[in-house]
Amino acid sequence: MIAIIPAATLHGVDGRSVSVEVHVGPGLPGFAVVGLPDAACRESRDRVRAALLSSEFKWPNRKVTVNLAPSGVRKGGAGLDLAIAIGLLVADSQLGAGLVRDHAFIGELGLDGSVRAVPGLLAQVDALTTTAVVVPREGFAEASLVGRHTVRGVTSLSELVAALRGEVPWPVPPLTPDAAATEHGPDLADVRGQRVGRWAVEVAAAGNHHLLLIGPPGAGKTMLAARLPGLLPALGTREAMETTRIHSAAGLALPASGLIERPPFRAPHHSASMVSVVGGGSASMRPGEVSLATNGVLMLDEMGEFPATVLDALRQPLEEGVVRISRARSTVVFPARFLLVGAMNPCPCGEGGPPGSCRCSDTARARYARRLSGPLLDRFDLRVPITRPDVFELLGAEMGERSEAVAGRVAAAREMAGARGVVGNAQLTLAQLERVAPVTKGALRVFEYRLRQGGLSARGLHRVRRVARTLADLAGCDGPLDEAHVCAALELRADPSGLQSAA
Amino acid sequence: MSAALPDQAWLAALAHLPGMWPTRLAAVLDLARGEAGAGPPPPGRAAAEAWERILNGRVMLDPRVRARCGHEPDLVWRQWRTAALESDVARLWQVYRAAAVELHVLGGPGYPACLTADPRPPYLLCSAGSLEALDGPRAAIVGTRRCTTMGREIAAQFGRELAEAGIRVVSGLALGIDGAAHAGALSAHAAPPVGVVAAGLDRPYPARHRRLWQTVALQGVLMSEAPLGTETAPWRFPARNRILAAVADVVVVVESHRTGGSMITADQALGRGVPVLAVPGPIRSVASAGTNHLLREGAPPACDVEDILVALSLDRSARTPTPTLFDTRGGETRPAVHNEVLSALDWTPTSVEVVLGRTGRPLPDVAAALAALEMAGLVRGGAGWWERAGPSASASPAPTVGE
Repeated sequence: MIAIIPAATLHGVDGRSVSVEVHVGPGLPGFAVVGLPDAACRESRDRVRAALLSSEFKWPNRKVTVNLAPSGVRKGGAGLDLAIAIGLLVADSQLGAGLVRDHAFIGELGLDGSVRAVPGLLAQVDALTTTAVVVPREGFAEASLVGRHTVRGVTSLSELVAALRGEVPWPVPPLTPDAAATEHGPDLADVRGQRVGRWAVEVAAAGNHHLLLIGPPGAGKTMLAARLPGLLPALGTREAMETTRIHSAAGLALPASGLIERPPFRAPHHSASMVSVVGGGSASMRPGEVSLATNGVLMLDEMGEFPATVLDALRQPLEEGVVRISRARSTVVFPARFLLVGAMNPCPCGEGGPPGSCRCSDTARARYARRLSGPLLDRFDLRVPITRPDVFELLGAEMGERSEAVAGRVAAAREMAGARGVVGNAQLTLAQLERVAPVTKGALRVFEYRLRQGGLSARGLHRVRRVARTLADLAGCDGPLDEAHVCAALELRADPSGLQSAA
Repeated sequence: MSAALPDQAWLAALAHLPGMWPTRLAAVLDLARGEAGAGPPPPGRAAAEAWERILNGRVMLDPRVRARCGHEPDLVWRQWRTAALESDVARLWQVYRAAAVELHVLGGPGYPACLTADPRPPYLLCSAGSLEALDGPRAAIVGTRRCTTMGREIAAQFGRELAEAGIRVVSGLALGIDGAAHAGALSAHAAPPVGVVAAGLDRPYPARHRRLWQTVALQGVLMSEAPLGTETAPWRFPARNRILAAVADVVVVVESHRTGGSMITADQALGRGVPVLAVPGPIRSVASAGTNHLLREGAPPACDVEDILVALSLDRSARTPTPTLFDTRGGETRPAVHNEVLSALDWTPTSVEVVLGRTGRPLPDVAAALAALEMAGLVRGGAGWWERAGPSASASPAPTVGE
């Protein structure tokens, strides 16, 4: 007899529906899985058999063939275990075919018959068209986010079969905690001093400007960057779903509510490999750090220590908002729209300080600065030198502004940007820029002076205008840019001594 | 074949032999001169003669040459001979001709007179340009490569004003102070510049000063102890500084760290009785630690070009009044925030962070004030550091920003 059970598999961050066809018929007793399963998938034979026996079902002593259709698509992971087990029970007439009609099953089986969580549940459920979906109990909240299905969370195979037969009621879904209770992360008030740094993170958050922090070790670069997500507004429904889907596909822990509502913060160590940052892999296509940081912040601490290939691989995502990973077997597109925060030391000795005071030679500084390629450096609208806070500031009782207050201004500025049709001013096109960021006469004179001096290029000019627009928005001023905003934007783009061509 | 080539060609060939250090070259040439004629050195044949002796091995019969050749003189000679047999003297000479580089040997014709009396004169000197540039008062302006903006400006200003006063500016053409001094001197289009470098004259170092080297050779003279094709090596810089000190009539150290090449130049100059002047700097600036040390040791300060002219005994009679450093002109007409920002700035680089802290004003106000003050020539900066600018910086008229 034959049974066909709908299930799904993961491809990148997208789900693909799969039909699990189970045939139990005459022949030498055996169990074969066909249809391009990967190693984990092929091993499901042993898990399913043990789970059936532990759950006190009969093992058919006949020829069992499982086909995963469409058979041209590679299937990975253990998420098809549950569908294969149910299919077997139906094909062996231990379970009525009518009871599983319009049900899809996703879950990994333990040898004792327990049902375990699988990565990428959100994307897989999204790919299903059945009315009801049975998932592991841990994944109930995540699977419910799709909202089109009746979701059943189960803990074991025997419980599932009993519920399908109507012998016991479906288990009560776990309580989802209130979303409002989620933590916002560290507060900006913890940062002492760092007035320029505070301006920089506020502008970065308000305008989606990529930020490069340059300063000696221990100055507070990482501290500032870690507070950036707290300044960003909560994710909208679409962004939240997108980020959740990516995190789920990568197998990362999700919050109890199942939905990631705060912008993520990712900070890979500088020993990270190219694949771990960009995504990919040989067996399964896993999203990399750039994708995990989608709609949030990607921080690269000690940016100069990252391999040049990894840094240059960031250029496509920064430009297009996606990464296209191509392998011999398949090509996947991962979303990768993030706010990049880089941190590095001003020079090899790390101390920097006022011009002429550091002990690094000019050549050493130039070599250090070359680790960031020009095109990458150019993506940073904000390049800010960070100095160590004064002793008095560290010990002083004066607290800085709280994240909440700053986040309020940021939200208002982002709303103004939203009215122009962009998420942040960093995304303004040249044509839009001409329309929404006119400059006053005074500001024009400042530009003229800097251009004549040679400290500003034509491309730099537009970037400065975008930042100036954000500064004006933060001040609640919608009119043309005056010299204060332009000068502040120029100050926030101060190329630290190591990074300008030394002469 | 040897007859067709001038003696300078053989001299170049000798200098290019491996292990032919200045002391050995001196011994080999002295030997050739001594035997060719008992009297004064014969003009024009000594180097060719020495070459012959190296080929036929007679050079090693001389005890003075042997004494200079270490423990195994014969090994050294075999190296010389192998290299001499392989070398193409005519082609090498072509390279020198093409580069317009002349060779001078101590005591020979054309050797600069100011170096002859030196306790440790360079035995061989390569020059590009005209050695006549040395005829006249010469002031060396030296300093650190890691200089401050202020130091660079002072060097350029001294260079320009000295050249205008007819003083030949001498420096090592290195990055930082040296380069700035010569850039200033060249901008005056007056007295010819003199560059003393450590590498071969066809190997500009640092590479980005290639243009500067060419200009100096064109308008003045460029000198080096090293034959063409020699790359720099750490030991060559102190050796070069010795020549620098020997050529100069006065040495001005603009900025120097506590240790460094400029301090060696100053030492060398003092050892030769050449006056050393130092530009006073802020006591907290590490780039002025060396110059301030010199001042403490008794070096006269160089606060303007007059001080240098006095040291050269060339004081211009009418001293122009120097504008006071604590210039408060226009203070009443500036908006309050500009004055606040100005008083929050030090005369050494001050970070924007500190200015924000001292004024307690938001970044846009401070940034606008800094830009306006910069255009008015009262401050200078960039890269997140600002400092007040001296009166000389405001010499170039700049547009003022409307309030």
